[in-house]
Amino acid sequence: MNGISLAPTIVTDLIGSGLAVLISFLALSYAYRLVKLQPNNFLWGFLFYFTMAMACFSVSRGVGHILRLILVLSGRNEMWMILSPYSGGVNTLLLISVAAVTLYYHKGLAAYKALRTEAEKLALANAKLEETAGQLQKMNTFLEEMVEERTRDLSKSEKKFRHFFENSKDMVYFCDYGGEISDINPSGLHLLGYDKPPSNFNLLNFFKYNDTLERYLTALKEDGFVSDFELQFESSDGSTRHMLLSANAILDRKGRMTGCEGIAKDMTRLRNLTDQMVSQEKMASVGQMAAGVAHEINTPLGIILGYSQLMMDDFKEGDEIYENLQVIERQTKACRKIVADLLKFSRQSESNKAELNINTIIEEVLAVSEHNLRLNHIEVIRDFSSDLPSVIGDVEKMRQVFINLLNNAQHAMEKGGEIFISTGWDAETRDVTATVRDTGTGIPDHIKCKIFDPFFTTKTVGKGTGLGLSVTYGIIRDHGGSINVESPIVDLQTGQTTQGTAFHLRLPVTNKSETNAVKD
Amino acid sequence: MLSCRLQQKNDRIKMKTLSFKILFFLFFLLLVLPEACWALQPHGEPEGLYVHQMAHILFMGALAYLYWHTRKTKDLVGKGWRYLQYFCLFLIAWNIVAFTGHTLAHYLEPTDIISKGTWAAKLAPPITVIKITYFLTRMDHFLNVPALVALLISLRTFYYEALEEAEK
Repeated sequence: MNGISLAPTIVTDLIGSGLAVLISFLALSYAYRLVKLQPNNFLWGFLFYFTMAMACFSVSRGVGHILRLILVLSGRNEMWMILSPYSGGVNTLLLISVAAVTLYYHKGLAAYKALRTEAEKLALANAKLEETAGQLQKMNTFLEEMVEERTRDLSKSEKKFRHFFENSKDMVYFCDYGGEISDINPSGLHLLGYDKPPSNFNLLNFFKYNDTLERYLTALKEDGFVSDFELQFESSDGSTRHMLLSANAILDRKGRMTGCEGIAKDMTRLRNLTDQMVSQEKMASVGQMAAGVAHEINTPLGIILGYSQLMMDDFKEGDEIYENLQVIERQTKACRKIVADLLKFSRQSESNKAELNINTIIEEVLAVSEHNLRLNHIEVIRDFSSDLPSVIGDVEKMRQVFINLLNNAQHAMEKGGEIFISTGWDAETRDVTATVRDTGTGIPDHIKCKIFDPFFTTKTVGKGTGLGLSVTYGIIRDHGGSINVESPIVDLQTGQTTQGTAFHLRLPVTNKSETNAVKD
Repeated sequence: MLSCRLQQKNDRIKMKTLSFKILFFLFFLLLVLPEACWALQPHGEPEGLYVHQMAHILFMGALAYLYWHTRKTKDLVGKGWRYLQYFCLFLIAWNIVAFTGHTLAHYLEPTDIISKGTWAAKLAPPITVIKITYFLTRMDHFLNVPALVALLISLRTFYYEALEEAEK
C-alpha cells in the first residue's frame, strides 16, 4: 500500500484560499455599497463589519496557507516555523473577532429594532399628522369653496328677491309689531303717496276704516296671517286705494308676534272698472226697461193729448172745462217730456249726427245760460283747446249734455261759485275731452254710483225729475264716449284736493272717411 | 427577639474579620515566597491550539446563534436572509471540519506523513480512519468557499433590494 497522496489537499488549499479571499472581498464590496446606500440601517452596518472581519479572516488564513505552501515546498521550512505562530494567532484573533461581532449583533439589533420601532411610530404619527393636516387642508379648502358657493347662491338669491322686491308693481312691506314700516318697496311707497319713506311711517295709519284695521290685526294675532284681505288705504294725497292684502305675522322663537310682512295689490282700477261695468249693466237694463215703458206710455199720452186738444176746441176760453182741459194738456206734455228724456237716456230717440266742434256747442249753450248763471253769482271760466278736432254727434243732444251739466253745477252752487269748462285733445286715445267743474258742495261717496240712475235726485219733489244726468249719460254713451265724475277734485300736479265736482267727458274722434260715411 | 438579632450581627462581624485575616495571609505568602511568584503565567505549547479550537467553538456558537436568530425573527425574511442562513450552516460545518482536522493532526505521528513539505507528500500506510478523516478535513475549502459564496449572494441580494427601494 503506497499511502494517500496529499497533493489534492494542497491544490484544494491553494485554489480554495485564493477563491476565499476573492469572494470575501466581493461580498465586502456589496456590504460597503449597502452601508453607503442606507447608512442608518443597523443590519447593514452589522453585515459590513461581519463581512470585513470575514474578509480579514479569509486574507489571513488564505495568505497564511499560500505562504506556508510556498515556503515549505521551496524548502524554507524554518522561515515558516517562525511565521506560523503569527499566522495562527492572527487567524484565531480574527475568528474571535467575527464571533464577537456576531454576538454583538444581538444587542445592536435589539437597540436598532427599538429605535426603528420608535422611528416607525414617529413616522406613523407624522404620516397621520400629515394625513390629518391634509384632510384639514382639504376640509378647509372645501369649506372655503362651500362658503364661496353658498355666498354666491345667497348673493344670487338676495339679488333675485331684491329685484322682485324693488320691481314688483305690488306693495311689499315689512313692519314691526306696532305697524311701523321697516322696509317697503318703491311701488308701495308710490301707492301710499310718497317718494321716500317719511319719518313716522306706520302702516296702520293708512287704513281708511277702523273696523277693517281691527279685523286685520285680530286675524294676524289669532291666525298668524291674512289672505286676500280686502281693505281701503287712504294715501297721503287723500285718495282711496282699494287693496287686496296677504300678510304673515313674523314670530320669534317663543311664537310671539314681532312684526309682519305682506304683499298688497292695488285693486282700485279693477274695482272702478268693475263698478263701471256693473253700472253700465244696470244702466243698460234700466234703459231697456225705460224704453219699453216710454214706448207704451207714449201712445196713450199722445191720444190723451190729442183728445184733450180736440175737446178744447169745443169749449170757450175761460170756461171751467176749458181750463181743466188745459191742465190735462200741460201735464200730458210734461209726461211726454219725461218720456222723451227716457227715450234719450235709453238711446231710443232719433239722432241726426253730423260733424261738430265741442267748443262751438259749449259756446252756444253758454250764450243762452251764462246770463242766468251770472244772476246766480256764478262765474264761468273757459279753458278751450284751440286745435280741437271735430267729433260726430247730434248737435241738439250734445247741447243738452252741457245744459244738463251746467244746470247740475248751478244747483250745486246755490250761493254762487265758479264753473270751469275746459276742452282738450288726447292724441294717444284719439279722444276729445271736456270737463265741467264746479266749486259746489260736491257729491258724497255713497251716492256717486247712483247719480246716473234715472229718477235719482237729491232735489226736493217737484224741483227735478232725476233724469238730467241719466239723459247726459245716455247721450254720451250713444256717441261712443264716456262720462266720469270726480268729487272732490284732486290736482294731479300738486296732489291738492279741492271741493266741488268735475264731470269728465270723452268723445271719440272719427276719421274723415268715417265722417263722410256718416254723412252719406 | 432583640437578643437573637444582636447575636446574628455579632456573627457577621466575626466572619468579616476572618475573611480579612485569610486574605492578608495569602498576600503575605506572595511577598515571602518569590520562587512561586504568580505575577506572570507561563504559556505552554498546546495553549495556542486550545485557544484556536476554543475560537472555533466560539465562532460556531456565534454562527449558530446568528442562524437561529435570523430564522426566528419574523422581519428577516427573503432571499438575502435565506442565503445568510446557508452561509451560517456552511460555516458551522466548516468549523466542525476545521476543529476535527486540528484535533486529528495532534494524533498523527511524524512518520505518518511521508515526504512532508513536498508535492509528493503522502499519508503513510497503514491507512486508518484517523488518517482518512484527516485527509478529508484538509479539503475544508469545499465548505468554506460555498459559505462565502452564500454570503456574497446574500449581500448582493440585500444591496439590489435596498437600491430598488431607494429608487422608488
